[in-house]
Amino acid sequence: GAMRSRAEVDATLQTAKLNPVELLPAVHCLSFGPQAGAGDCCLLQLEPGLCAELEAGRSLVIRGEKDEQAVLCSKDKTYDMKIADTSNMLLFIPGCKTPEELNADQASCDIIHSQVAGFSNNYWELRRCRPKLKKLRKLLMEDPYEGPDSRKDQTLTFSKYTTEDLLSLIQASEEEILHQLQIIDACKIEGYWRVLEFDYEMKLLNHVTQLIDSESWSLSKVPLRTCLEELGSLEPREMIEHILLSYGRKYIDDAGEVYFEMHEDKICRAIAQMLLQNAVKFNLSEFQEVWQQSVPEGMTARLDQLKGLALVDKTSRPETIFLLKVEDLPEGNQERFNSLFSIREKWTEVDITPYIQDLCAETQTVGALLTKYARSSMQNGVKVYNSRRPIS
Amino acid sequence: EAAFLIRSEGAGGLAQWVLVELQGEVVPRQSGGLAGSLLGDLHYTCEGVPVLIVGHHILYGKVVQLEKPFAVLVKQGAGEPGPAGPHTHYTVTALIKTKLLFKTRPKPIITNVPKKV
Repeated sequence: GAMRSRAEVDATLQTAKLNPVELLPAVHCLSFGPQAGAGDCCLLQLEPGLCAELEAGRSLVIRGEKDEQAVLCSKDKTYDMKIADTSNMLLFIPGCKTPEELNADQASCDIIHSQVAGFSNNYWELRRCRPKLKKLRKLLMEDPYEGPDSRKDQTLTFSKYTTEDLLSLIQASEEEILHQLQIIDACKIEGYWRVLEFDYEMKLLNHVTQLIDSESWSLSKVPLRTCLEELGSLEPREMIEHILLSYGRKYIDDAGEVYFEMHEDKICRAIAQMLLQNAVKFNLSEFQEVWQQSVPEGMTARLDQLKGLALVDKTSRPETIFLLKVEDLPEGNQERFNSLFSIREKWTEVDITPYIQDLCAETQTVGALLTKYARSSMQNGVKVYNSRRPIS
Repeated sequence: EAAFLIRSEGAGGLAQWVLVELQGEVVPRQSGGLAGSLLGDLHYTCEGVPVLIVGHHILYGKVVQLEKPFAVLVKQGAGEPGPAGPHTHYTVTALIKTKLLFKTRPKPIITNVPKKV
């Protein structure tokens, strides 16, 4: 249709009994643009920080395979996506000015012809969520690195992943993925991210701890150079350096030499895993004796080093201990609690915390999770938690 | 493809649009559909209150600064690779930081008032 004229606008005002003196001089004559009904546009509601990301020219990515719930990722955060319906109609209008803008612009046009670009009664809503990283470990465990002597690596396998591969398969932001790779001690071998097969990892660690022992080095001052010299004939140099980085903190002294301060807790924990994986459960006191004898000279093996790795059964006579790794448990909240309650009916907060700590979102606490997914009761004067529903 | 890229040109390439929120549905008055048809006249009072005249109705609203802005996403044409390459699926064409919310019930405009004889 033809564009409205000032005379037509004024006539409408008169019919509506509105006094032009009480109105700003500029009027927007709204009409529907040629593509308004096409549905090409949709609205995405932005959580704090995302607007700035877009204004800086950074992209966002929606990730998810057909069987996964889609997530949206910025460079460092992950969000669940949901369609929010409104009972109202939302029209999006380019070039529509606010009263402030009209007042600020002295030369504002009398009639502004604005076209509605599109309309919708829903929009994408975002909610910050934990990145879905369990799949990352699962992918890398398809083909753990067993060392250069392994015949496996010489055959062509397709279970190897580059950073790009992981970005397209994991529902998490790039920063969250790279951070997790560091946490699980993954390393890049020939361009592919790999985790070490546990036995190979222990073999490497053993080389290092034996060398520390034979050289009588302080555990907080292990020299990289000497390790590479002494062990370089046994294992690839990259692997020696990798195991030192995984189990120690790297630092450089005033002379520019590279040293490692070894993580006592992490080493003791790994040795415990090596011992515990050989049977379903162990007599606790026997295990503690063998464990202390197995750790390097100068290190103290303590049960609190095993949080999220092993569980002590104080109700059995004699007391026992068994392997229970938090990373083997389900990722979803309800599934995790179901799994834990099927392993043990009643848990103290101290025992269950290492197995639910990773479920806590930005602002959530373990206490809040327990309130939501468990029921508490008193047992022998101690507060215990059990399932809210019967476990089949 | 398990990943959809939402590409932004950055502040220089992003327009600022406004959202108008109305009760009810948008229904074309003519059978020819919406494209090109008039919606109404949008005025502001001197105090900055938006007034929308749609057909025989007056709607009074308010200007709301959105706590959570919206991005307007435009889907790339299926057949055409965008300037960013074949993996771009959506482009952010505009940001919306302001909305005009019309929640009041429309007041009908009475055009024919019989004159008293």
